[in-house]
Amino acid sequence: MNSIQQRLSLGLISVLIITGLVLAQLSLWLFDQGLRRYLQTHLHHEAQTLLAAIIRGANGIELDQQRVSASYQRPFSGEYFVVVLPDQQWRSRSSWDYQVTLPATTGLQKELADGPQAQELLIYRADFRRYGKAIQIIAAQDYTPMLKSFRTMQWSAAGIGLGALILLVLIQRILVRRALRPLEQMREQIVQLQQGQRTELDQQVPDELVPLVQQLNHLLQHTEDTLGRSRNALGNLGHALKTPLAILFSLANRHELNAHPELRDSFRQQLQSMQERISRELGRARLAGEALPGAYFECARELPDLCSTLQQIHRRDLQLGWQAESGLRLPWDREDILELLGNLLDNACKWAHQKIQIGVTYEQTHYCITIDDDGPGIAAELREQVMTRGARIDEQVQGHGLGLGIVRDIVEHCRGELVLDSSPLGGLRVIIRLPVNRV
Amino acid sequence: MRILIVEDNVALADELTADLKRAGYAVDWLADGRDALIQGAIEPYDLILLDLGLPGKSGLDILREWRATQMLRPVLILTARDHWAERIEGLKAGADDYLTKPFHPEELQLRIQALLRRAHGQVNQPQLHAAGVQLDEGRQCAVKNDEIIELTAAEFSLLRYLMLHEGQIVSKSKLHDHLYDGETERDSNVIEVHVNHLRRKLGKDIIETKRGQGYRLQKNSG
Repeated sequence: MNSIQQRLSLGLISVLIITGLVLAQLSLWLFDQGLRRYLQTHLHHEAQTLLAAIIRGANGIELDQQRVSASYQRPFSGEYFVVVLPDQQWRSRSSWDYQVTLPATTGLQKELADGPQAQELLIYRADFRRYGKAIQIIAAQDYTPMLKSFRTMQWSAAGIGLGALILLVLIQRILVRRALRPLEQMREQIVQLQQGQRTELDQQVPDELVPLVQQLNHLLQHTEDTLGRSRNALGNLGHALKTPLAILFSLANRHELNAHPELRDSFRQQLQSMQERISRELGRARLAGEALPGAYFECARELPDLCSTLQQIHRRDLQLGWQAESGLRLPWDREDILELLGNLLDNACKWAHQKIQIGVTYEQTHYCITIDDDGPGIAAELREQVMTRGARIDEQVQGHGLGLGIVRDIVEHCRGELVLDSSPLGGLRVIIRLPVNRV
Repeated sequence: MRILIVEDNVALADELTADLKRAGYAVDWLADGRDALIQGAIEPYDLILLDLGLPGKSGLDILREWRATQMLRPVLILTARDHWAERIEGLKAGADDYLTKPFHPEELQLRIQALLRRAHGQVNQPQLHAAGVQLDEGRQCAVKNDEIIELTAAEFSLLRYLMLHEGQIVSKSKLHDHLYDGETERDSNVIEVHVNHLRRKLGKDIIETKRGQGYRLQKNSG
C-alpha cells in the first residue's frame, strides 16, 4: 500500500460505495413512505364508499352489494375489507377463506400484515357511527407488487451504481496518472542520476515539486562543491608538505652528511616514514566513496588511458589488455577507482613478464574487477600474510612492494573485498568485488 | 646536457640546481609559468623539469601549448600531485615522465638519464655505451677495456653529450648551447681544450674533428 495511485483509488471507492448505498436506501425509503401515504388516502376513500354501501334493508342493516366495487368480489384480488358491527362481521368475498387480522388502532397500520397467497397487506381501519351503531371498516390492499418493483429498482440501481463506480475508478486512474506524471518523471530522472546519465534534475516541474527539485539539485551541487573544495585543500596541503619534504630528501643526500652516516640514516628513515604517512593519510582523506552523478568510472573511457599511461611509465615491452562490457560504468567516484586500479596495475607492471589483463564484469549483486599478470605470482601461503591487516610486506621493499595500503583503504571504503589468487596467465590474480549499493 | 627547471619553490629549485650541476648538467631555472612557456620553447634544452602548480600559468597548460606547437623536447613533470587521475592527465598532456614529490634525488637522476637516452634513441641500457667506451653516470667516470678512467666534470658532460650523439657531427656552437647554461660566456677555446683532454685519456681516434663543421664521436670503434 505504498503507491499513491492505490491509496487514492481505495479512498475513492470506499467513499463512493458508502454514499451510493446511503443515497439509494434513503430515496427508496422516501418513495415507500410517499406511496403508503397515497395508498392511505385511497383506502380511506374505499372505507367511505363501503360506509355509504351500508343501508338499512328489510333484514336490518345490510351491505348493498351493488355499491361495492367488483374487485371485492374476485377471490384474492388483492383488495379486501372487513366491516365490524357490534353484533356481526362482514368480509369481502375476495378474501375467501382468509381472515384479515383486525388491527387494534385506527388509521394506516405501520406494519404490513400477512395476506392470502403470500400477499402482504397494507391495512387501514376507520371507525364510524351509523344507525346508532359503532361501525369499524377495515380496508386492505396487497402491497407485494410495490415491494417487487422496489426490489427490481434496488437491483437495477445496484447495477447502475456498480457500473458508475468502475467508470469513475477508471477515470480517476487516468487522472491520477496524469497528475502524477511529473513525479514519475522525477523518479526516472533519479534513476538516471544514479546511473550517472545526468548531473541534475530537470527544473521544469509543477509548482508543488519545485522546492523538492531545487533542494535536491542544490544538495548535489553543494556536495560536489564540498568534495571539490576539500580535495583542493588536501592538494594544497599535500603540496605544502611534500615540497619541503623533497628539499629535505635532497639535503639528506648532501655529501657533508656522509661524515655522519648514523645521523644521515636516521634522518632519511624519519623522512621516509613521514612521506609514507602523509601520502597514505592524504590519499585516504581524498576518497569520495559513493560517486556523485557524472563522476562515475566509465570503463571504456578510463581504461585505455590508464593502460597507455602505465605503458608509458614502465617503458617495457608490456601488453596491457582490458575487457569490459560496452557502456559499463562503475558507480563509484572515478578518481577513487583510478587510484585503486592505478596502484594495482602499477604493481602488476613491475612484476609481469609481458602480459597484463584487466577484466571488469557486473554480476547482479556486485562488480568484479580482476587483474591478471604473467609474473612470478605469490605463493598461496604468503598471500594470506600479504592480505592481513597491518602486514608490512608491501612497505618493506621500497618500490618493489605491493602498494596495497591505499588499495585496501579504497576497497574498504566501497565495502568491497580484495582476494589474491593464482592467474591463468601464470602470475598473480587480484580479484576485487565491490557490492552494488543501490536503493 | 642542458636542463630547464621550472619550479616556484626557491629552496627546492636551489637544491635541484645544485644536484643537477653536480651531475654534470647545465641548469637554468625559472619560477614563473609565463616565462617558462616562452623560454622553454626558444632555448635548446635537452630536458625540462616542470612543476604543475606555477604562478602565472599552470604547468599542464604550458605543456599543452608546447605540444600543440610541436615542441617535442622531453618533459619530466615534477609535482606533489600523486594521484593516478592526475598522472594520467599529465601524461596525456604530453609529458614523457611523471615524478611525484617528495622524491629521492637518485630516483630523479635515473629518470633524467633514462629520458635523455630514450630521446637519443638509446633504449633499455643501464649505462651509456658508445665507441667502445662505457660511461658511469653515477660516478662520472669512463670505462674502456675494463679500465676505469677518471674524468673532470667538464670532460664528463662533454663526453656524455658526444656519446648521446654517437656518429653525428656536432658543431662547437651546438656543444656550447647544450653544455653551458644561459649565463656562461661563450669561449670556443674551452671546448677545444676539453676535447683534447678526452683524446689524451681515451685514445686519439675516439673524437674526429670535421674542419669547419664540428666534432664526431666514432661509431662502434671497438
